[in-house]
Amino acid sequence: MKAERYLAWLSILIGCLYFFVPLIATYEFSLRARRGVYSFDAYRSVFSDMAFRQTFGYSMLMALLTIVFGMLLVVPTAYWVRLRLPQMRPVVEFVTLMPLVIPAIVIVFGYLRLYNSSSILPLTGSNTTTNILLVCSYITLSLPYMYRAVDTAMRTIDVRTLTEAAESLGAGWMTIMFRCIFPNVMSGVLSGAFITLAIVIGEFTMASLLGRPAFGPYLQLVGANKAYEPSALAMIAFAVTWLSMGLLQLVSRFNRSAPAKA
Amino acid sequence: MAFLELTHIKKSFGNVQVVHDFNMHIEKGEFVSFLGPSGCGKTTVLRMIAGFETPTAGTLTIAGKDQSTLKPNQRNIGMVFQAYALFPNMTVHDNVAFGLKVAGESKSEIDARVKEMLGLIKLDHLADRYPFQMSGGQQQRVALARALAVKPQVLLLDEPLSALDAKIRVSLREEIRAIQQKLGITTVFVTHDQEEALSISDRIVVMNAGRADQIGTPFEIYNTPATRFVASFVGTLNMIEAKVIDPSANRIMIGDQGVTLKQSVTTYKAGETVSLALRPEAGSLAESASGDTALTGQVASAHFLGSVIRTRMNVGGNVISFDMFNSPGMMPPAVGETVTLRFAASDLLVIRD
Amino acid sequence: MSSVSASTTGTRVPSIDRKVVVDWLGVAPFTIFALLFLIIPTIYLIVGAFLTPDGSFTLKNIVDLFTPSILAAYWISIKVSVASSLGGALLGFLLAWAIVLGGLPSWVRNGLLTFSGVASNFAGVPLAFAFLATLGRTGLITVFLRDWFDFNLYSTGFNLLSFFGLTITYMYFQIPLMVLILTPALDGMKKEWKEAASILGATNGQYWRMVAFPILWPSLLGTTLLLFANAFGAIATAYALTGSSLNIVPILLYAQIRGDVLHNANLGYALALGMIVITGVSNILYIMLRMRAERWQK
Repeated sequence: MKAERYLAWLSILIGCLYFFVPLIATYEFSLRARRGVYSFDAYRSVFSDMAFRQTFGYSMLMALLTIVFGMLLVVPTAYWVRLRLPQMRPVVEFVTLMPLVIPAIVIVFGYLRLYNSSSILPLTGSNTTTNILLVCSYITLSLPYMYRAVDTAMRTIDVRTLTEAAESLGAGWMTIMFRCIFPNVMSGVLSGAFITLAIVIGEFTMASLLGRPAFGPYLQLVGANKAYEPSALAMIAFAVTWLSMGLLQLVSRFNRSAPAKA
Repeated sequence: MAFLELTHIKKSFGNVQVVHDFNMHIEKGEFVSFLGPSGCGKTTVLRMIAGFETPTAGTLTIAGKDQSTLKPNQRNIGMVFQAYALFPNMTVHDNVAFGLKVAGESKSEIDARVKEMLGLIKLDHLADRYPFQMSGGQQQRVALARALAVKPQVLLLDEPLSALDAKIRVSLREEIRAIQQKLGITTVFVTHDQEEALSISDRIVVMNAGRADQIGTPFEIYNTPATRFVASFVGTLNMIEAKVIDPSANRIMIGDQGVTLKQSVTTYKAGETVSLALRPEAGSLAESASGDTALTGQVASAHFLGSVIRTRMNVGGNVISFDMFNSPGMMPPAVGETVTLRFAASDLLVIRD
Repeated sequence: MSSVSASTTGTRVPSIDRKVVVDWLGVAPFTIFALLFLIIPTIYLIVGAFLTPDGSFTLKNIVDLFTPSILAAYWISIKVSVASSLGGALLGFLLAWAIVLGGLPSWVRNGLLTFSGVASNFAGVPLAFAFLATLGRTGLITVFLRDWFDFNLYSTGFNLLSFFGLTITYMYFQIPLMVLILTPALDGMKKEWKEAASILGATNGQYWRMVAFPILWPSLLGTTLLLFANAFGAIATAYALTGSSLNIVPILLYAQIRGDVLHNANLGYALALGMIVITGVSNILYIMLRMRAERWQK
């Protein structure tokens, strides 16, 4: 018994070292900007950099669009499959698992060949359409997480009974969707939203290959050119990821204690 | 010296004492049940015998040998768990063979012994099945065979029938008892079901809040319960409040009717209240019923259940429930009817709390 | 919903059930999206791998994958993915074991699981920066070893911008992923199995050898495969860490997409096909193993 406990604590210790040392190192490194003394100069440099604000804002906007349009796609689909087409469930689930199997770089490679200026759907033609393509690619990337979060939430509340109750009270499908279904799967929507935020903010591959001014490519550029700013940015990125996940935990814990509203 | 001895066994988890001064001597080949409600400590004592828990105080010996220094895998004890605990990655054959394999027996010896065990539980045809392909009852029988395969000196069963259907429970407990008697193996059986304990045990230990309230044969436990808890836990029971009139003559009053007890109330003072217990099968309304005592009261309800008539009557502020066998010559009493219940004074038990 | 059914007992005209049409219409947006942004692009690449620039069928691209430089890229990718998945699996298993079966207080388990949820997403470019700050030439550990133990890390030939360095960096998100997936599997290990084995005379080692590992190996292997596929397809961290100096397949593909370094567009498709095959097979094996594991843990 005792030996087991020792080994367990030892493993935890090794794990903690492995996980926390890089974080501490990054923080320490980010404070070294000024020679000889610790300062927040690197952070000041980052925040005053126009490119930082632009790209961060751009990525935030992309994340927001991804979440909104992704949910507009996922929630009705999950609902519909549950209610009307249960036989499509395996197919839909397989499709939502594909982005986990096919690497992002391969997916965006396909987009570039398929939707370049000489195809029938020239999505890379202009900035606006490329932005649309980027949002669509982000939706694809976060599809597995969004779908699973929403589907799980729908499984917990009985969508079938909810719909029948609403229908018997005379509600049309728009009302049902937006006033009955959406509010009750909100926890699943928020879970999916936070994971999507974490994924999109730092995403590099797709933004870089599509040539859009996102945060990911900006990070890589700074890494190639500056010394201390990259670690400051890494701390910021980690904070954002931590925040998203923290909010996610909060939402899921809140959902567990509060029963679904009928 | 008894085969399995527990002396002054105590167990605490942190500040909570779960077992208080438990003493028990079990003879070789005896089948003893630990009976009690959830949380009474019966499983804890069993696990201490197995070696999964260490007693905070007291000694535990098997065949005269102190077990406190021995780990569970050194005690040569067989155990059957409530959740069967068959290894899911092994067939029935390999599960039963496990203990023998670990001990390093030869393949031919193992195969012979497994065959013998499977024959004992009559499941030879399932030797190549996996646990998930079998019913609960079958799995538990395999678990029994697995425990017995290594010829343990003691067999422990931790509520083995609680997860099974009622019908299987009855047939399987008979099977367990039959096998136990055939092999003559010392057995400790933990259960919360009093019918189970009564029907198959040589002796029963009734446990309540970490203490052994009574140790005795099923007959003793049922007919002469030592405490109110034992009386109420084992079988149904009528609790009657009576007033002591004459302690030296064992004379008491139930309502306004006087009764002379066979049990002694000499330790009570006149005017004190004493709790009496009466089993429902003890009395009868028949004129010809034997019994030196009678109580008269009003019928509150009478239910005809076929072979049994269950009647409740009010007597001096008490409600007495009694069962009578159906007799074609006697109609069930009507509600409100005044009836006289006849029973033997020796059936009235004094319950000290 | 009313159905407009036109069949009578006499005729055999197929009826169009309006309800069925509406049902399938409901999944139309998703289907269109999936086709446009998932299925067709993938098929396009797969088909393109078997075509010549002028559109005729060929297996030459597949054959060209086996040229030394490309094979080397695949080999490095496989090496890094195997190393980081094995390392991640080992340490992840140890940590998962510690919090589930190690008898530790529950706050340790909750803390580790929460942190793993975050850390498994902390990949990409920032992760590369974090490890540069830790094990780079002026990183904290490097400096610490030099100042306190007089030990020059880089003189031993160690370099963060190498196979070994990339493996260690990848393990930062591989280990948490292993912990997250393996913890439920370990939860399913019933306490009674260990007790039953023990009372039947087995030592700890015998229990693990004869009962626990046989039950767990599908989950362990399956998750390791998942980790492998995860590492194989990753690019951002490697790119930020090594530029193009470490020639793993995703980086090669990246360069190819950007500037056709292979001078053969269809070879790029073949490269992508190779990646899909490897990650696809790993995932299929993972699913098969997981189904096997779940059957036993009923």
